Amino acid sequence: MNPKGLQISTPTDTTIVLTRTFNAPRRLVWEAMFTPDKMRRWMLPPPGLTMTLCEVEARVGGVLRLAWKNEEADPFMTLEGVFTEVIPHERIVHTETMATGSGQTIGTQVETHEFAEKGGVTTMRITQAYDSKDARDGALASGMDQGMEACYKQLDELVTQRTSP
Amino acid sequence: MVVDRSPRLDLVFHALAHPARRAIIRQLSGGERNLSELASPLRMTFPAATKHVRVLERANLVRRRVAGRQHLCRLRAAPLRDAMLWTEQFRRNWEARFEALDSLLEEMKSEEKSRSRRH
Repeated sequence: MNPKGLQISTPTDTTIVLTRTFNAPRRLVWEAMFTPDKMRRWMLPPPGLTMTLCEVEARVGGVLRLAWKNEEADPFMTLEGVFTEVIPHERIVHTETMATGSGQTIGTQVETHEFAEKGGVTTMRITQAYDSKDARDGALASGMDQGMEACYKQLDELVTQRTSP
Repeated sequence: MVVDRSPRLDLVFHALAHPARRAIIRQLSGGERNLSELASPLRMTFPAATKHVRVLERANLVRRRVAGRQHLCRLRAAPLRDAMLWTEQFRRNWEARFEALDSLLEEMKSEEKSRSRRH
């Protein structure tokens, strides 16, 4: 496996933990993660959506505001949160609430980012804590409707290997 | 994002949530087994094993056929594939984002380098 490889785990019923290493000092990873014009570069929207708003204030009490539109609705989806804990280049915690364009809440979670640097390589760990197992499972399932066909063949092979005698 | 609840996937995940049932699936990945073959390595009574197999049948993970006095169980792969697919797209979305972040970081690093050369 790629040494940078993304690791995803579900240590409890209501959390998802993502871990990934980056070939850059954590100061830069932090800047890339929490500066609006840089965030727009990596926060790839789901197919068919365009990001229309990206406000990030990485300080305690600062807001996080994102919005996306599609052909039918502007906004189609919004994300709003507040930063509750900030230790620069080390640890940052924010709340987030996803909502439909009409304002109906889809889900809320608390997201913690932790950064550790060793020899110019940064390991970032994101912990997403949801209100319930259903909400967590819903987040894991999101995007299931996208690109299904694309990875079907690969999965087919995997499953065949795993289950044939 | 609007997420469709899938009762079928709920059954699959419920079925996979018990260690005994995962052990049964592992055994069946080696081929068809009868119920007592499944029960004995788990140190389980026949009725207890039957109960677990029923849960797996309801999730469509196992198919049972009766041959004489034997109940033969066989694994069905399709629902497992769906269960993998369920989390696979979440992973793919994040992988794509982190790959974009990789190239952004490379840019930022070379910008810093050229800036320090200028000074």
